[in-house]
Amino acid sequence: MTITIDNLVKTFGTSSALNGVSLEIPDRSFVALLGPSGSGKTTLLRIIAGLETADSGHVLFGGEDVTNRPVQRRNIGFVFQHYALFRHMTVAQNIAFGLTVMKRRDRPSKDAIAARVDELLALVRLPGLGGRFPSQLSGGQRQRVALARALAREPAILLLDEPFGALDTKVRRELRGALREIHDRVGLTSIFVTHDREEAFALADTVAILSAGKIEQFAAPREIERAPASEFVRDFVI
Amino acid sequence: MTTASALLAPAGPGRRPRWLRRRVAMPGLGLTLGVTLTWLGLLVLLPIAAVVVRSLGLGPAHFAAVAFSPRALAAYRLSFGAALAAAAINGIFGLLIVWVLVRYRFPGKRLASALVDLPFALPTAVAGIALTAIYANTGIVGAPLASIGLRLAYNPSGVVLALVFIGLPFVVRTVEPVLADLGQDIEEAAATLGASRLAVFRRVLLPEIMPALLTGFALAFARGVGEYGSVIFIAGNMPYKSEIAPLLIVTQLEQFDYEGATAIAAVMLVVSFAMLAVINLIQARERRWRDGA
Amino acid sequence: MARRRMKAAVTESRAVRCALILIALAWLALVILLPLLAVFSQALARGSRAFWAAIVEPDALAAIRLTLVTAIIVVPLNGVFGMCAAWAIAKHDFRGRDLLTTLIDLPFSVSPVVAGLMFVLLFGANGWFGPWLIAHGIRIMFAVPAIVIATAFVTFPYVARELIPLMSAQGKAEEEAALTLGAGFFQTFWHVTLPNIRWGLLYGILLTNARAMGEFGAVSVVSGHIRGLTDTMPLHVEVLYNEYNFVGAFAVASLLAALALVTLAAKALLEWRHRDSIAATGH
Ligand SMILES: Nc1ncnc2c1ncn2[C@@H]1O[C@H](COP(=O)(O)OP(=O)(O)O)[C@@H](O)[C@H]1O
Ligand SMILES: [Mg+2]
Repeated sequence: MTITIDNLVKTFGTSSALNGVSLEIPDRSFVALLGPSGSGKTTLLRIIAGLETADSGHVLFGGEDVTNRPVQRRNIGFVFQHYALFRHMTVAQNIAFGLTVMKRRDRPSKDAIAARVDELLALVRLPGLGGRFPSQLSGGQRQRVALARALAREPAILLLDEPFGALDTKVRRELRGALREIHDRVGLTSIFVTHDREEAFALADTVAILSAGKIEQFAAPREIERAPASEFVRDFVI
Repeated sequence: MTTASALLAPAGPGRRPRWLRRRVAMPGLGLTLGVTLTWLGLLVLLPIAAVVVRSLGLGPAHFAAVAFSPRALAAYRLSFGAALAAAAINGIFGLLIVWVLVRYRFPGKRLASALVDLPFALPTAVAGIALTAIYANTGIVGAPLASIGLRLAYNPSGVVLALVFIGLPFVVRTVEPVLADLGQDIEEAAATLGASRLAVFRRVLLPEIMPALLTGFALAFARGVGEYGSVIFIAGNMPYKSEIAPLLIVTQLEQFDYEGATAIAAVMLVVSFAMLAVINLIQARERRWRDGA
Repeated sequence: MARRRMKAAVTESRAVRCALILIALAWLALVILLPLLAVFSQALARGSRAFWAAIVEPDALAAIRLTLVTAIIVVPLNGVFGMCAAWAIAKHDFRGRDLLTTLIDLPFSVSPVVAGLMFVLLFGANGWFGPWLIAHGIRIMFAVPAIVIATAFVTFPYVARELIPLMSAQGKAEEEAALTLGAGFFQTFWHVTLPNIRWGLLYGILLTNARAMGEFGAVSVVSGHIRGLTDTMPLHVEVLYNEYNFVGAFAVASLLAALALVTLAAKALLEWRHRDSIAATGH
């Protein structure tokens, strides 16, 4: 699903987080939002998700204005940096959550939900771990569970806020490959926030470079390396 | 925007004033804040307003005459004086109990710690008659004390005694987490610098726990000033001598002297608010000091 | 290792330690333990039959019933209020939030007698709503409704006070995750927030209940002291005590003391089993 971001502005009190951000993200593409800490990446992602409201500007999904649509009805998947798994639920209950809170009329049967959970556990390579609690998993496993949970309702859009930020390098690399594979297999449109240049360039079709609440450049990795759009981009990526 | 999505979406910009516009995704603010403000307004603010308006209606001269009559002044003196004395006693013994509970290990420690909370949970009237049973001239502690001329019940010292009971957990539970969080490294540092044990306590530890101790003191004092149930059984309740301010309000209500009762209540309310402000101030200063550090 | 080091550099001599422990325990015994024991020993001073007779006496039973009814009405109301207040304050940011938090604490610092008087000024014959209530034949003052309202005032902050720090400390991440998964407000609260706060909530409710059943000053002002009708257990204790019926007074008091002990035991248990999910509070 294409995502259109039209001139988003957001201030917190007196500090401005986004100063007019516009992006056109094609269907099924994998975009990395890259920028230093405090540049507004999280804010932008949360506005796209509907977790935060912009002061002005619009967000469109597939050409449809969703600016005022509540987060529950945007049909997005969101992966948080610190997993945000439900501590008191098992892995299977975590993954099934999005399905179990559906209206009775739309909700799949118990068996269908269990089958879907198994399918997702297989997709993120954690078969058989459905009965564990999040506290019994490693960081990498937790983030896999969070990914499976975000995919349960078959969202068209996947938003990830530094999902591997808390993990060590080896696990990061592993998960990176798995994420790209799942993105391609499921046919998602993904936005991936990171402050790690290497990660962004290795993973994404297109990279948006953010600085102080403005997009500095939005282009393919090779294009950015070949022709950095500004002094800032040159310093930051090279 | 299609018609369907216009129906789905909540009111967009322009349809509502800015401050009403949906700003956060977290739902439920309208409902929960509505319930909170309604319940707060009806149950707390409206009644307080009634006291304020009624006492303003008395006019300054009449208000002063009833709120500061000699009998009322004697009652304030007792309520505030006893609450102050009890808070001070609780400051000392509360600190000692915290110290022992946090720093030492001994049999029965968990029981002792649980016992500290009893005044929070025990109904005040029960505390009142129990204290009287022990400390009256016929009680098992009161009798030997009376034989050496120390009478604790039916006079102002009985008031202090009851307020010591009521206030102890405020001091202990406020200071305890602060002392527990205090690492031992600063004491060790002071010791390596040649400070004696007492000097370490006075110059290093006491300043660290002072804000919490003051907060606990203020909480115990605020609670003591308004305390009624535990006090009236042991106080003697003689006008001008052992009559606390809340009891005077009750007495005046029983004599249908609503004006006198309202005026005294207004004075006590002002003191409550002042204490609340002081406690908030101490805590805000402590927070700033900690965050700054 | 840590203990040896502590011994070496920064602790007191054994004699000082023992002396301090003894003083602390003696103080606790004198101020708290003795009165507690006195309640039970006085209640049983004339044997268990006298104790039992004092409790099944009709006025005592009526007082027990009224106290239970009051708690059954007040505790759920203040429980729901406390959860609402905690959700609004801990999970949202809005102007006046700090002021609201302070206002919720107000009933802690208001004398119970003043609290009772406030409701006399509202519902009494000369009160703001008194004449209207009398004209419509609605009885609030010196009757059960006033007792319930005064008790609600006094126990107003307990659940909120317990939950606000707890819910603030837990942050919003899990709730936001639930929202992105399509859950609405009630679903998020029920499936995500409530399981995380249940022990703190339980403790807040236990405390509210103990306070509601034991409230004396505020209820004393508004009840009218009609024996068998508007006397709660604490008021009945006072009546019996003033009639020099000490066994009766302490027998009813011992039920309240037992309730306090159960509350404290539950608290100790909760702290021991679920240390992380109960915020330390001073009240
Ligand atoms: N809830 C908030 N309240 C106040 N300021 C915020 C809040 N969230 C973000 N900010 C500010 O907005 C700016 C952008 O933050 P963020 O989007 O988190 O950056 P990034 O994710 O790129 O590190 C920062 O200056 C930050 O301090
Ligand atoms: Mg961020």
